[in-house]
Amino acid sequence: MSFLNTIHWVVWKDLISEWRTRETISSMLFFALIVILVFSFSFAMDQDAARQLIAGIIWVSFTFTGIIGIGKSFTSELQNDCMESLQMSPVPKGAIYLGKVTANFLFMFAVEILLFPLFVIFFNLEVVESVGMLLLVFFLATLGLSAIGTLFSALTVQIRAREVMLPVLLLPLAVPVMIAAVEATRGALNGDPYAFYSQWLHLLVIFDIIFTVVSFWLFEFILDS
Amino acid sequence: MSAIQVTGLSKAYGFYRIFEEMSFAIPSGACFALFGPNGAGKTTLLRILATLQTPSGGQFTIFGQDGVAQKDSVRAMILFIAHGSHLYEELSATENLQFALALRGQTPEPSHLKRALDQTGIGAYGNLKIRQFSAGMKKRLALAKAILAQPQLLLLDEPYNALDDGGVIITNQLIQDTMNRGGTVVMTTHDRNKAAQIATEGAILQGGHLQLLSPQELQTHVLS
Repeated sequence: MSFLNTIHWVVWKDLISEWRTRETISSMLFFALIVILVFSFSFAMDQDAARQLIAGIIWVSFTFTGIIGIGKSFTSELQNDCMESLQMSPVPKGAIYLGKVTANFLFMFAVEILLFPLFVIFFNLEVVESVGMLLLVFFLATLGLSAIGTLFSALTVQIRAREVMLPVLLLPLAVPVMIAAVEATRGALNGDPYAFYSQWLHLLVIFDIIFTVVSFWLFEFILDS
Repeated sequence: MSAIQVTGLSKAYGFYRIFEEMSFAIPSGACFALFGPNGAGKTTLLRILATLQTPSGGQFTIFGQDGVAQKDSVRAMILFIAHGSHLYEELSATENLQFALALRGQTPEPSHLKRALDQTGIGAYGNLKIRQFSAGMKKRLALAKAILAQPQLLLLDEPYNALDDGGVIITNQLIQDTMNRGGTVVMTTHDRNKAAQIATEGAILQGGHLQLLSPQELQTHVLS
């Protein structure tokens, strides 16, 4: 009960703080809009090429937008030394980690849901039949990125060059998730049969489990160090 | 059993030794005031007792629990009011209390929250966001957290800073209440006169060594 209660309160705290400042969501949206516009103008003359690359474009913008949000996840704890109160808390640290992952996932997923219609409009995508599968891919890949990103956000928050170190450390580990997400998104957008790209979805599930379990256990050591 | 038992405690940052081979015990129900010049290591000692820093050598126990090996058990017994207020600027005073107590596994009744805020003189500001609070109000909110948490060991780093006379009275009342229910208080302070009103034990940390003060020496030190 205390475990679930802690998750609930950490999510509640992060969501209510964000609702009142809108700092994270607005910077994520602003960055993502610029990326979409730049790519959109780059491929304005060649819609076929754009459609070939759209899955990669989507995940480049989602991943880098997500890193902005994840990076802010623990910097908010530095103000008034709030990180110390997390560190001194006698509740299981895994519950704090899962609360942070949930909040990061919600921020990223919300931004993705807002941005995807813009991709559809700017790149003239036909997604009526594949929207359910695309949402599943977004859900699984975002979960994986949140799980590993939250751990690295906690790891780098005390480092002076954290804005540089977070992507440097996170991106190599996130590459398998990004590749699986790109392949599954491409399959869904092309209208391929599920069996053609199901292995990428399975891979996303496996990475979600590995990243969450490993980060869950490591989080306590990182918070205490 | 002592509330705090420290044996051969040392702390160094690289080659720079803050203190070494420090040993002392604090009984339950005591208020221990730690004096010393700036940079003597008072806050470092308090942070070690709060399990926020690891000692370089030696060991300490809090109510019989090892401060390094049994951190989680120790953390359930202590509350640390530090220089940083541990408050979230975008949350209200009441929300901050709710969240701080949730992190201790506690879910207080709204009436208890209101009573704690009233006791610390900020009952009218329960819905105000922390970014609108003054330093003194933040300190009072930290005291409200201690009132609700009722820790066995209360660690206070310069508790009288930023407080007006009313705040000092509330702080000393909190310390007295903690002692009355068998809890222990350790505080660092430069304010000898305010500490003298409440401290039952004391020590001076200087040059890496701790000089324990007898009750008589404590009063003499305060008066000097």
